[in-house]
Amino acid sequence: MTDWRTIDTDLLVIGGGVAGSMLAIPALEAGLDVTICEKGRVLDNCGSVGCGVDHYLTVMESGAEWDTAEFLMKHIPTLTDGIVDLDVTRRVLEEMPRILRKIEDMGVDFKDPRTGEYSRHPSFGLPGAYHINFEGTDFKRRIGKHVRAGKATLLMRTMALQLLVEDNVCYGALAFCFRTGEWVAVRAKAIAVTTGDVNRLSMNASGLAFDSWHFPFNTGDAQAMGYKVGAQLANMEFTEATLTPKGFSAQGLNALVSMGAYFLNKTGERFMFRYDKKGENARRAVLADAVVNEYLLGNGPIYVDCRHLPAEELDHMEATLQVDRYTLPAFYQQKGVHFRDTPIEVSISELTIRRSGLYFRGSGLSVDTTGETSVEALFSAGDCATVSGGIAGAAVLGHIAGEGAVQRIRQRGNAALPEIDWEDANRLRAGAEASLTRDSDLGWKAYEDEIRSTVTDYAGVRRTGKGLKLALETLQALAKKEDTVKTDNLHGVMRFQEARNIRLNAEIMTTAALARTETRTRSAHRRLDYPETDEANWRKFVIVEKGGDGVPTVRTLDATQPLSAAFARTPNAAAGRIEHVS
Amino acid sequence: MSADTKMATAGTAAVHNPIVIDEKLCIRCNLCDWICPGDIIYKIENDKTTMPEVVYPDECWYCGLCQSICPTEAITIVFPDVMINNKSDVVRLLGKIVD
Repeated sequence: MTDWRTIDTDLLVIGGGVAGSMLAIPALEAGLDVTICEKGRVLDNCGSVGCGVDHYLTVMESGAEWDTAEFLMKHIPTLTDGIVDLDVTRRVLEEMPRILRKIEDMGVDFKDPRTGEYSRHPSFGLPGAYHINFEGTDFKRRIGKHVRAGKATLLMRTMALQLLVEDNVCYGALAFCFRTGEWVAVRAKAIAVTTGDVNRLSMNASGLAFDSWHFPFNTGDAQAMGYKVGAQLANMEFTEATLTPKGFSAQGLNALVSMGAYFLNKTGERFMFRYDKKGENARRAVLADAVVNEYLLGNGPIYVDCRHLPAEELDHMEATLQVDRYTLPAFYQQKGVHFRDTPIEVSISELTIRRSGLYFRGSGLSVDTTGETSVEALFSAGDCATVSGGIAGAAVLGHIAGEGAVQRIRQRGNAALPEIDWEDANRLRAGAEASLTRDSDLGWKAYEDEIRSTVTDYAGVRRTGKGLKLALETLQALAKKEDTVKTDNLHGVMRFQEARNIRLNAEIMTTAALARTETRTRSAHRRLDYPETDEANWRKFVIVEKGGDGVPTVRTLDATQPLSAAFARTPNAAAGRIEHVS
Repeated sequence: MSADTKMATAGTAAVHNPIVIDEKLCIRCNLCDWICPGDIIYKIENDKTTMPEVVYPDECWYCGLCQSICPTEAITIVFPDVMINNKSDVVRLLGKIVD
């Protein structure tokens, strides 16, 4: 095909954030050829931590009783409300100290310059001080520099649209550069999708689609592409929200709660203890849920209060406020408030399909202990994979998946990769470009707004069977409207493809939420018609796959099993334990 | 101005520009386009006569990476009123109950 750029490589990584970059490193170190496809333009600043990061969750084996993988592992079922892939989580915890040292070797300084020690804090309900609070402005830059030194081929401002799969084995992807219009066909011996969570999914206080806590350019591209080629997804019914300064969905909650900030309702009551004995130190899911409840009880507005904190803690907070979000100090300044002497009004953020406000239960593509999905040679890590733990989770599972990919590449050896079906490839391309010449009044923004209002109203923090069915019908009707959406330029084509991915993820989420007839992890999945957690019947994963008719189908797997037990490619898969849900 | 921006501004309210670039300070170096994670700022490369253009202001994440990398501090991030003086009802974000 003369007007396609073609690349043959060993490893193709789609998404150059922390997970993707860490995934590329073992392959580069093994001397393999690596190609990275990324919607941003520079590897050093892409992904959710493009700006920096202020905390890192890790086991360090420092000698403290709690500071081992084994100790934390014992608490994992409680921390995840009984639904987590235990095998993959165990591998991640065990690798944490090694990967921490590796990142330090890349030049990241996790120590507090004031003391020369690691500043470790307990937060989000974890049974020990696993979070290192640090000045991580350069975190991603250091990792990106290491990848660039390895001389990977970089495809920037490029969005992958379709994975290439034959007989449940992945061999590449099709992508386009939205700056030049160049279409690229990449064949690879292993492919990794590390494109993060699903944002622009529901509404928040500002009503601005791109004002989101997490990266608004993470639109579930990996989940959508994986789903279309038959990959298994799990935990997609669980959403995550956080607490943000009202009007600006910015990060920074961890820094506040780990320093000892209080949450107050309109009467000045410090209400978190009514919801959890750990108060403000409870899991994120609990904090968000408590604020949802307070608003529903008429106890809003809700404030975060730092006035009681010692001056030196406030100094430190002020000095690191911009690490997670560079513009947060400017926001407070333009707003004319200061957290030293004013309680700041907070809001519940928009939702993202991520890891339910808790650690290690990820939502997305199911992976095994090598980071490989149910499709052979297709790997995943970070917030689009079923084991996720913030930046550390992305880094550690990313590196594990990188080592898994190296093994898979060696196993495939020099066997020829399948030929690309150019008729199929050109169909994809013509379909994407058709929106440019369409005569229509429906733009991608209006199309995407409908997804957000549907999810907010009927599939968000308060779910019912009736509401979810209505949401599902609306989302499926929206799929039929895709052929009427118009775009004006290549940038618009890219945004519309993102919107399509958001819609598909919303449909998968709604299908899974309809199947789970219980409430679990509070507002991460609250069914008003099934308000209790049903341990007897629902200690199970909800698995979603593409059905024969193209719509999502659901089955369940007992959560004592690893998700890979339901992979078709796994020898002796525990097929007998899988129940189908009508 | 791009077609997208024209369409957006054709509505009832003008689109707020979050990325204000001081023409006097800007050295037309391209770094803001290079670092923007959202493909929002466009700058013709190797051309010292043209300013960077904020083509998709309503897709800004307010991350400030452009401001942080600007070598001459020519960029200011300005939040719109709907963000700094937000008066919206949080309860409306909590869903509708279908009977």
